[in-house]
Amino acid sequence: MSLTDLLRTALRSVSANKLRAVLTMLGVVIGVASVIAMLALGNGARAAVDATFQDLGANQIQIGQRFEMQDREFVASGEKLTYQEGLEMLDTVPLVERVEMSVSKTLKARFGRATIEIGAIGTTPDALEGFVAGGDVQPVGWTGDAAFTADDLIGEGRFFSTDEVYAAAPVCVLGYQTALDLFSGDNPIGETIWIERTRCTVIGVAVELESTDVTQRYQSNPNEFLAMPISTMIQELYDEEPSVYMTAHVTDANRIEEAKEQITTYLREKHQIEQDAEGNYLDDFDLTTRNDILGQQQEAAQTFSILLAAMATVSLMVGGIGIMNVMLVSVTERTREIGVRLAIGAKQRDIVSQFLLESILISASGGLAGIVLGILAIPLAAALNQGVALLYPGSIPLAFVVALLIGVVFGLYPALRASRLDPIDALRYE
Amino acid sequence: MSEPIIRTEKLTRTYSMGESMVIALRDADLTVHAGEFIALMGASGSGKSTLLNLLGLLDRASAGEYFLEGTPVSSLSRDELADLRGRRIGFIFQNFNLLARLSAWENVALPLAYRQGQFGQQDQLSRAREALSRVQLEHRVEHNPMELSGGERQRVAIARALVTQPAVILADEPTGNLDSNTGIEIMRLLKELNAEGRTIIVVTHDMNVARNANRIYQMRDGVLKESEFDHVTH
Repeated sequence: MSLTDLLRTALRSVSANKLRAVLTMLGVVIGVASVIAMLALGNGARAAVDATFQDLGANQIQIGQRFEMQDREFVASGEKLTYQEGLEMLDTVPLVERVEMSVSKTLKARFGRATIEIGAIGTTPDALEGFVAGGDVQPVGWTGDAAFTADDLIGEGRFFSTDEVYAAAPVCVLGYQTALDLFSGDNPIGETIWIERTRCTVIGVAVELESTDVTQRYQSNPNEFLAMPISTMIQELYDEEPSVYMTAHVTDANRIEEAKEQITTYLREKHQIEQDAEGNYLDDFDLTTRNDILGQQQEAAQTFSILLAAMATVSLMVGGIGIMNVMLVSVTERTREIGVRLAIGAKQRDIVSQFLLESILISASGGLAGIVLGILAIPLAAALNQGVALLYPGSIPLAFVVALLIGVVFGLYPALRASRLDPIDALRYE
Repeated sequence: MSEPIIRTEKLTRTYSMGESMVIALRDADLTVHAGEFIALMGASGSGKSTLLNLLGLLDRASAGEYFLEGTPVSSLSRDELADLRGRRIGFIFQNFNLLARLSAWENVALPLAYRQGQFGQQDQLSRAREALSRVQLEHRVEHNPMELSGGERQRVAIARALVTQPAVILADEPTGNLDSNTGIEIMRLLKELNAEGRTIIVVTHDMNVARNANRIYQMRDGVLKESEFDHVTH
């Protein structure tokens, strides 16, 4: 029989028992939806890690003060990480070639009669490169084929230099919107503004930036900020020494674990952390590398993924067995029809194809419905997994192929059974 | 004389029933030439269905040989038998055996559909129409079997048997499920087809049906014997 004839036959016989077909599909629908959701979780975790990868290069170690739960609140533990320690680390730890440091605080800035509250960051000059590498923002309308550089971020004037950081120079760089808010369109370069009770010269203004992720564009404005040398900010704008957030760049990404140990040893010495009775160190700082983040993300997604995988497997098995059951019933019901078909010249493969196509039709329809359901279920899966789930495009063809396979695998036995019927017995069947 | 359509040599069919052996057909010799109309009579259990199944290639003989248009069939595979059956044999059943989900023409075209793409959709439709008009059902082409009377259903089945231009049409009690008037109509149709040159074998226990044939065979306890018209009693 030609494929069109076979398809027509299968379609007709499935649509003759619509309710039965739909109920039979259910297992495959749920199974396929679970596969889609499961892969979305894995993909979401990977995407989240990838996003972090951009912030954190393979040769970078993030260093922050450890926070601990105390009376339902996160509080910083032990000693602070100081600016001085960051500078010293560069000289002391051989594998570290550069240390980016930053502190941030909301401050009042004033020029003339304009006063604003602004998120200020005290940082080192290389923070600008980190900003570029982060990939979260780009100049508005950036269409260049080449990636933009740190220089492209500064619209007017310049960013502060390493010397200015060492000298704790009273200079600052404004975000595009912040400059507009304070100067209402006048040129800010060279003007002196007040930040709290400190005078500060504006030496640069950033270009207008936009988030590279379109969905993020309305949530935060990357054009509202004030950047100044970390040394200046710590000296002038903090009452007591703040804890600094550091990113250490290691000379060789392959020796990052070694570098981690060196930094740990250095910081334990500085903070006078000794082994306790059981031989453990109670560190008051945390070191994080890209591998650590990957591990955390995978761990978070894994439990839920295993659950979904189990659900997918069970549903697909149950769905497949359901299909097999219905097909066996169908073969029995249609024994006489099979006898007639055999009598008028149907070959074994004609009968096999007819029933196989029918089961494939059921499982494929279930697969399509499952794909739709799975895509709709992704937000739900995300809600149960800290918002991390993203449709994995490859999961759609994969899920569909799985559905087809279920139809083939579980439809084969009933179809073979139908094809092996004895024509005389089949014709005589009541 | 030309090659007969059907020739059997000591065709035998036995069934084993546990320990014992039942001989359903014993050394049947039957020769049917093109254009003949044969009636096969006998009580139920006499073995006439067994013979018909063998002639229709639905069953295999235990011994002896069956030549269909000169081809010995005992060595053919299941699919080869199916192919030969589809091309050279037309079946008419007592209970019509139409597929309820298919329209009249689709039922008629079904044997063509199983001929591995030899007939396209349009070809199937036109041949089915042709066969249906031969049995005066051109106005029922799109009807479902459920919408047809018994006589019409049997005529659809006859059209299905005709559509492949088979070497022989095998009819198993074709009037068994019909009232007598309709039965007479169907037999008249079969006779017409025979007059047009079709070779027909009818299995029946009804003498009135058998009377239409030009030769009558009697089956008794698995033994086939040709009988003269005069000797046949009802």
